[in-house]
Amino acid sequence: MTQADVPPTTTRPGDSIAIGQIGIARGGGVLRTFVGSCVGLVLHARSQQAAGLAHVMLPASNGRGSPPGKYADTAVAETLRLLREATGEPALACTAKLVGGATMFAFQSGTPIGEQNVLALERILGELGIPITGRLCGGRHGRRLTVDVVTGAVTVETAGHGTETLAS
Amino acid sequence: MTPDDDGRLAAIFHHGAADASDALAKWLGRPAAVSVERFDTLPIAEAAAVMGSSATLICSCAMRIDGAIGGLLLLAADDDAGLSLADTLLERPAGTSTSWGDLERSAVVETANIVGCAYLNAICAALGPAGTAGILPSPPVFLRDFPEAVMEGVLMEQPELSDIVLLARTEFRIDGAPIDCGLVFLPDAASVAALLPAIRAPEGRP
Repeated sequence: MTQADVPPTTTRPGDSIAIGQIGIARGGGVLRTFVGSCVGLVLHARSQQAAGLAHVMLPASNGRGSPPGKYADTAVAETLRLLREATGEPALACTAKLVGGATMFAFQSGTPIGEQNVLALERILGELGIPITGRLCGGRHGRRLTVDVVTGAVTVETAGHGTETLAS
Repeated sequence: MTPDDDGRLAAIFHHGAADASDALAKWLGRPAAVSVERFDTLPIAEAAAVMGSSATLICSCAMRIDGAIGGLLLLAADDDAGLSLADTLLERPAGTSTSWGDLERSAVVETANIVGCAYLNAICAALGPAGTAGILPSPPVFLRDFPEAVMEGVLMEQPELSDIVLLARTEFRIDGAPIDCGLVFLPDAASVAALLPAIRAPEGRP
């Protein structure tokens, strides 16, 4: 894949954010995506009414890093960078929410990739001092998540299991 | 892969579809056809969306395939098509099945097993010497979920994830009418690499 083929880092607010992409919005609207084994990483800056949503697929970039939203290590850094850029706040205070990391089919042995994704994101956020204020992870079903950009609340519909809201 | 490689691979998958058609017709006891609808190499984000991006759940059965050609095979259908398939197999009047109980799930799982294995066995046979090891399928796993989550689950089961994936998609017709049901085969990266010399060798060409 050439650089020109790499999916855009940001999407229009309201669009579903595809694997490896990062969506950023400020001042209103929603960010959405579907996740199965991937994890939706939500970073919210309450004071600036801004939110970022990364659709993280793998726990570590191992030097690859493109697109940055694909890997836990690069997704956190890039989402923070984009949020800072969008708000003009170099020292942005954020909270995080994590959704996804399900084990959909479990044909492979070892720690499921979804669980590895969640663990990697928890570790990286912990190292950066970003508190995780909500999470809905694991299980065997996909989830549809919608982020309210202003409040940071995340509505999560789990396939066949109803809807929950991770409050702001 | 070159355009010639694409063409050769597509021809091999057409062989698979022909045998899958026979297997489906015998299994259902009525005229049925499986045909290769699309054969693509796609960026992973696009591959995740091939089933659509909807909050409406679909039913699916996935099998891990090992052997001469490895990867993930997925039978996916919208609920109406899946339940209609179950009615046919259970010899019930159309519209009897309205939810996914054990019997309905079993009918779809067996369909995935029979049609999927016929499909891949024919592909192995068309590979010539490279295909003699045959396939070793896992038991099918039933999953009813969002279409994107199902495809994401399939993609994430690849031992080595690449940014570009090869997808072979089929469509089904039963009694001459298309139904919203199809097989998707996602060969793993090692299998694609092994397939290329096989399809380029004269004895490996269909």
